[in-house]
Amino acid sequence: MNIIACVKQVPDTEAQIKVKADGSGIEEGQIKWVMNPYDEFGVEEALKLKEKNGGDVTVISVGPARAMETIRTALAMGADKGVHICDPAFDGADAYVVANALAAVIKTLPHDIIFCGQRAIDDDAGQVGAMLAEALGVPQLTLVTKLEFAGSSVKVIRPIEGAQLSIETALPCVVTAQKGLNEPRYASLPGIMKAKKKPVDVKDAAAIGVATDAKAKVAKTIPPPARPPGKIVCGDDPAQKAAELGRLLREEAKVI
Amino acid sequence: MKVDDFRIGMEGREVFWNIPLPAFEILLFALTAVALVIFGYGIYRRWLMWKAMGKPEMRLDDMGRRVKTVLMEFFLQRKVLKDPYPGVMHALIFFGFFVLIFGAAFDAGQHHFTEPIFHWTFLKGNFYLVFSFLMDLFGLFVLVGVVIALDRRFVQKPERLGYRGKMDTTPDDVIVLLLIGAIIVTGFVIEALRIHVTNPPWEHWSFVGWLLAKTFTGVELDTARVLHQISWWVHALLGLGFIAYIPYSRLLHIITTPANAFLESHQPTGYIEPIRDFENAEAFGVGKLEEFTWKQIFDSDACTRCGRCQDGCPAYLTGKPLSPKKMVQDLKTFWLEKAPQAVKAAKAGEAPAEEEGGKALVGEVIDLHELWACTNCMYCMEHCSASIEHVPKIIDMRRYKVLTEADFSPELQLSCRNMENNSNPWGVGAHVRGDWAKELGVKTLAEDPNVEYLFYVGCSGSFDDRGKKISVAFAKILQEAGVSFGILGTEEGCCGDSAMRCGNEYLFQALAQANIDVMNGYGVKKIIAICPHGYNAIKKDYPNFGGKFEVYHHTEIIAKLIAEGKIRLPEALKGKMVYHDSCFLGRYNQIYDAPRQILKSIRGIDVVEMERNLNKSFCCGAGGARMWMEEDIGERINNARTKQAIEAGADTIAVGCPFCLTMMSDGIKDNHKEETMQAWDLAELVVKAMGKEEVKPPVDTCAV
Repeated sequence: MNIIACVKQVPDTEAQIKVKADGSGIEEGQIKWVMNPYDEFGVEEALKLKEKNGGDVTVISVGPARAMETIRTALAMGADKGVHICDPAFDGADAYVVANALAAVIKTLPHDIIFCGQRAIDDDAGQVGAMLAEALGVPQLTLVTKLEFAGSSVKVIRPIEGAQLSIETALPCVVTAQKGLNEPRYASLPGIMKAKKKPVDVKDAAAIGVATDAKAKVAKTIPPPARPPGKIVCGDDPAQKAAELGRLLREEAKVI
Repeated sequence: MKVDDFRIGMEGREVFWNIPLPAFEILLFALTAVALVIFGYGIYRRWLMWKAMGKPEMRLDDMGRRVKTVLMEFFLQRKVLKDPYPGVMHALIFFGFFVLIFGAAFDAGQHHFTEPIFHWTFLKGNFYLVFSFLMDLFGLFVLVGVVIALDRRFVQKPERLGYRGKMDTTPDDVIVLLLIGAIIVTGFVIEALRIHVTNPPWEHWSFVGWLLAKTFTGVELDTARVLHQISWWVHALLGLGFIAYIPYSRLLHIITTPANAFLESHQPTGYIEPIRDFENAEAFGVGKLEEFTWKQIFDSDACTRCGRCQDGCPAYLTGKPLSPKKMVQDLKTFWLEKAPQAVKAAKAGEAPAEEEGGKALVGEVIDLHELWACTNCMYCMEHCSASIEHVPKIIDMRRYKVLTEADFSPELQLSCRNMENNSNPWGVGAHVRGDWAKELGVKTLAEDPNVEYLFYVGCSGSFDDRGKKISVAFAKILQEAGVSFGILGTEEGCCGDSAMRCGNEYLFQALAQANIDVMNGYGVKKIIAICPHGYNAIKKDYPNFGGKFEVYHHTEIIAKLIAEGKIRLPEALKGKMVYHDSCFLGRYNQIYDAPRQILKSIRGIDVVEMERNLNKSFCCGAGGARMWMEEDIGERINNARTKQAIEAGADTIAVGCPFCLTMMSDGIKDNHKEETMQAWDLAELVVKAMGKEEVKPPVDTCAV
């Protein structure tokens, strides 16, 4: 079984995001980069499928040189090989460019099932999975929380408001992973050591032969409006604190 | 000497009186040889077993200290006597037997050596009288010791001699006690019968035999001679049997326990040998018995099942499956199962065959609940009279689960990821690490590296809202006392203690190295930590990675500042305070006085002590990375500890560790005492006593 897992490197969820003064993006200097958590669900599911049914897992990422760390993380978890699509031409790439780049590589590889995170936590666009399925011309199963493999098809669960859908499709297909699909494993140390020696194919835009012109461009990054500071009623006397809280709610917040 | 020559000045007795020589001698020598061969074979067999399994480990440095340790632990019974009741019991038997063996050597020396060769008898006159008295006295000691031991094992039945209320007494335990008792009793009977027959006027010096002889009043002398010979042979056979039995019974501890004292670690308390090669190893930690060092396995053969470890183990006492004694015994049983095979393989010059379907060391021999219940509190190691090192074994097996198998609890995995990504177990953004100090005017070393002390704040003091108050309090104290110090701010990282103690050595070394590089970069010499975990790791483990610093705990510094008059505590506080000894301050670093001195300097308060204090302190439950794990078996350790504080009548629990503070604060809530009880770090109490605590108006609004 040939399994592909697409991963993106994103800032850690706790990282402090500072917008550059000129609005051209965010300050990257102090940021701790991690694998997009939804992609991690995808990698974990890929590894589980492999462990149960045999085969191998290829992890693919589009990103700058530092994205190699994220590929190595997936390899440490147990993926077999990696493809790193790395070219300055992809700076500022939109979902369309990324999906086409991924598709171009995947087309050259045997593939039965392709995992993506349901969205990346940095731009929250949630488009790559869908566009990738389109570019490959295969079915897509989105926001999946459970997956069962049955030879030449998969059956997945997708929760919707008040119910859940059980969806089946033939392979190959694209699956986008949602929280709840699994608990991503902690890489073992032998895994981390082995990952250093696993093959990663680094390809530039020319090598995969795709256009790098984004259809949609981020014109400007603007910090969110500053929140007015909250207030805490401090003190030792609960009765006085309650009275003060009441006064503030009535006179300042004007909610009662 | 003629036996009936009873003139004053002729005190003495014929060695081997009433025993037909030389036929007897030949037989006795032959039997002795048999006993020694059986003994020697047993030791040899055991020696092969000790050698057959485990990685090499050398513990032969600093021989002077090793010999001294054996003198203290074996000849003076230092650790054994630390627990008075069983200690005295053991000492009575040990010293008694020891003196009797010397006595027997005196007898034999005179009979076989000085008398036939030099015609010199020394067992006579006043020396003989004192000698006889001492022999009887120490013989009586042994008997008293045996009676106490039998009483303990069969009447008192203390919890520590079992597991969860079930005594772990084996037939061997009984045989050994009865054997020792019988040797002494038959010895006294022989003496009594001899006195009955020969009736010398000075033998009241042999007071036990003399008194016992009175019970033979009326026994025909010839009958007594026969009885004497019979008991003589019984006594001799029991004695030789004892020697032969040593290697096959718990008596082996006569050899293994002092040997283990000799092999004692000379590293600082709680030191954990780092993994030094990550690149070329296939597996990490200990997943198979033979991956321990031979010394770690040998430990289990030195265990006497005395149960001192179990007596203060916070996991055991709150109902977790872990008992340090059980763990060591389970390892021993497993070793005894596997070692014969390993000895065979070693003889054939082969690597031991992998056993198919054999029991797994981690998970089966040692249950995972046992493995993860340990708080690394060091009670077991501090109190083990056989110098067994439990905690490093736990960490080695945890390393196997975490590093090799990556199979550990999800909540601990999360903490590890948080330490990886944000260098703190909570996973709060690393960029806010120095924020607590913003309004205090505390400078970072980046702003001013020319300071005397680095205040290493640690994760609790930087990220935990309660912990941050300790940092603020301590910074205020340092500022008030005019101490020159700085912090690392966002350049500081997690100390890695939790990573190391949960077995994630790889992560620990990465965290330690990052801190060391920053500290060395600023030329840091002296460090103060408010968290005993960071204090201990920087002091004992960082030197392995090029970080050599003078490290202080904040209670040491505060006690010094108070003693030097650099800070004054004019404000009287109220309440009954109890100090809870943090394991990583107390047992790990012997800091018992500084925190108590601080409390003594505070006016207006009463200070009480918990029953389990100082080196017998009961862990708060957060050590050994337990801080980051769920505790779902038995009673919560922190609640048990809080109850002890309540029993001591305290309304304030003073601590010197932010982990302890969290645990005690939670314990107070869980015991529904939050209205009447509080937990404070000593630094916070000192700031109050200095009168420097910010007095808040009764009602105020403050910005978030």
